[in-house]
Amino acid sequence: MTQTDPQNTTTATESSQTKSSDEPILRVNDLHVSFKTDEGMVRAVRGVSFDVRAGETVAIVGESGSGKSVTNLAMMGLVPKPPGNIDSGQAFFGGRDLLSMSDRGLQSVRGRHIAMIFQDPMTALNPLMTVEQQLTEMTRLHLSLTRHDARKRAIEMLGLVGITAPEKRLRDYPHQFSGGMRQRVMIAMALSCEPELLIADEPTTALDVTIQAQIMELLADLQARKGTAIVLITHDLGVVAGVADRVLVMYAGRIVEKADVRSLFAAPQHPYTIGLLGSLPNVESNRDEPLAAIPGQPPDLSQPIVGCSFRDRCEHRFERCQTDDPILTPRESLGSEPHLAACHADVNTGETRQ
Amino acid sequence: MNDTQMNSTDTPLLSVRDLKVHFPFRRGSLFNSQKGVIRAVDGISFDIARGETLGLVGESGCGKSTTARAIINLVSPTSGDVRVDGVSIAGMSDAAMLPYRRRVQMVFQDPFASLNPRMTVGGIIGEPLVVHSLARGRDRKLEVLRLMELVGLNPRFLNRYPHEFSGGQRQRIGIARALAVQPDLILCDEPVSALDVSIQAQIINLLMDLQQKLGLSYLFIAHDLAIVRHIATRVGVMYLGRIVELAKSEDLYAGPKHPYTEALLSAVPVPDPEIASKRQRIVLSGEVPSPDVYYPGCAFADRCPVKIDRCITDRPELPPKNHAAACWVREEALTAKSAQTN
Ligand SMILES: Nc1ncnc2c1ncn2[C@@H]1O[C@H](COP(=O)(O)OP(=O)(O)OP(=O)(O)O)[C@@H](O)[C@H]1O
Ligand SMILES: Nc1ncnc2c1ncn2[C@@H]1O[C@H](COP(=O)(O)OP(=O)(O)OP(=O)(O)O)[C@@H](O)[C@H]1O
Ligand code: SF4
Ligand SMILES: [Mg+2]
Ligand SMILES: [Mg+2]
Repeated sequence: MTQTDPQNTTTATESSQTKSSDEPILRVNDLHVSFKTDEGMVRAVRGVSFDVRAGETVAIVGESGSGKSVTNLAMMGLVPKPPGNIDSGQAFFGGRDLLSMSDRGLQSVRGRHIAMIFQDPMTALNPLMTVEQQLTEMTRLHLSLTRHDARKRAIEMLGLVGITAPEKRLRDYPHQFSGGMRQRVMIAMALSCEPELLIADEPTTALDVTIQAQIMELLADLQARKGTAIVLITHDLGVVAGVADRVLVMYAGRIVEKADVRSLFAAPQHPYTIGLLGSLPNVESNRDEPLAAIPGQPPDLSQPIVGCSFRDRCEHRFERCQTDDPILTPRESLGSEPHLAACHADVNTGETRQ
Repeated sequence: MNDTQMNSTDTPLLSVRDLKVHFPFRRGSLFNSQKGVIRAVDGISFDIARGETLGLVGESGCGKSTTARAIINLVSPTSGDVRVDGVSIAGMSDAAMLPYRRRVQMVFQDPFASLNPRMTVGGIIGEPLVVHSLARGRDRKLEVLRLMELVGLNPRFLNRYPHEFSGGQRQRIGIARALAVQPDLILCDEPVSALDVSIQAQIINLLMDLQQKLGLSYLFIAHDLAIVRHIATRVGVMYLGRIVELAKSEDLYAGPKHPYTEALLSAVPVPDPEIASKRQRIVLSGEVPSPDVYYPGCAFADRCPVKIDRCITDRPELPPKNHAAACWVREEALTAKSAQTN
């Protein structure tokens, strides 16, 4: 069942650098998830391992379709089975493996200890219930608030996420809210029980930059008060630069780079990351010139991948990249956290690495 | 002959005049109900010329999506006029609307809710070709495959259903669908918000390329101000149902006039941790206005760092000029008037 994959085992360097004093609150180990489709088995997540410590913000960035959402849905027991299947891996939270927990066990953790902001608002919001009903359900269940207190809490939370006249708008249904307002209701739901771990999947895609900044401050405040750990999935590299401690870069179902945020932006070591950062529209960008983009397409995950999954699009590729699957190896870090990349090349010299 | 010539050169492709969309509401129980109206869009006017891109930005909930939905009659305007090539679409019959529905397409904000979950991708992208009788059988399939490739979706996924795609893949299905019928105008509501910056760049390049080749026009709603700057020729800034600043893209970014635009631009996150840790954004304090309240003056007044008395009582209108702001203090076309009364 378990595919052996050299990349998955947490490298020795990495674990030795994790100080025992700050034990991770979440430890994902060698996660593999696949989906049965008409085209065959789609291997959406192909061996993902990472840690998250209390009070820390870990950003996950990467190609659309690279497995960011599926990785996190899997931890929450929310991958539909079938067609989905967790082929192998563990996700330890507070010493217990989320992936082998019963549905009831997971339910008691979800919402209370781990909360998730979904990329799709309708996964979290029920179109037939008012905003009030949805916001109070969680706090009444998990915090045993009375109806009255739950309502007060709901008004407070809506106000904090910047919804005006919250006491009036509590009675609305989701379809009466704008895209960004729905997103903020979801954020309010996720934060209302003050979880120890918050997984936020593209939480601010529908928010203007001022409200986005306000939400980010709200998260930072929760983090400072409760030591909440945050996994932040986002395409917004500006947000990543502003709030993340560490960054994981995903490509084709794998983590291809893991680094301290400063080190990643200052000296990206994986050619995909370099291409990604190079695609940012720059302040002086000229309308007459097309934006830079990484040429080519990601590989088809329903076909076996031999060698490096990025090789067809890579400027640095060598012969070895056609046959050998690169594993995460340590590089020089310009920050306080280790820097690892899964690439046979040394992008700084253009030479192949030993 | 002469008439149509005139049409295609002088008349804007889309013209919106004093558009209002109000949602009446009644909340609560029989005995404890409140009645009122949400002024989602409250009197906005703009034109879009052929081959032009108008960017629309503004606070979440300020009425951008509602504006777009009103243009294609998905919500009925409360008042105002929407014209395409000079022809008003208000009260048009369904039959009369059909060609117009082909010419004006929309990419919806929510890639999850806007795709029919029971149709395959092939069906979704091909549907407009069926509705408008543009291609059949094998031709249709080939066209769908071409469109999938164009937006970077693997053509092998033709028979997949929407839930089998990631967020960004679904967003691209919506774009392919809008492109299918070769429209003249696409209303793009946050069309690239779920895409990584590389694919985002590919899509933006594609849209701009089609614009150049086919003269397409776009209304481009987005929160990403860097992208708007790149794609838009002109930009409108909305605040609580109204356009508060309208200018050529480069003018707006180089010198925002309205205090709300200033605050907005100051909050753009920068993709550099060194700079990000040092930057200061303008934090607005004061009461955030509510769309169910009528403000006789400027809706931004309570949060505005430069307001004067007049702002609370009189509404500043957007003057008809190239770089216009609806602001008593910052708009030269209005400051003289406010000096008289203050
Ligand atoms: N139910 C499903 N059936 C088949 N394939 C699926 C299913 N759900 C997801 N996938 C595939 O798994 C891969 C990973 O999807 P995931 O949603 O995790 O991507 P993502 O990294 O979150 O992308 P985005 O940034 O676009 O949201 C994608 O290629 C997607 O097509
Ligand atoms: N069907 C509806 N019924 C009642 N109110 C509505 C309806 N649709 C929208 N609204 C309200 O109209 C206002 C404007 O909503 P709209 O969706 O146009 O905002 P937006 O600018 O697109 O915001 P966002 O950036 O968050 O998507 C909001 O206050 C919203 O709650
Ligand atoms: S009109 Fe007055 S309140 Fe409104 S933005 Fe201008 S200065 Fe501020
Ligand atoms: Mg996703
Ligand atoms: Mg919207």
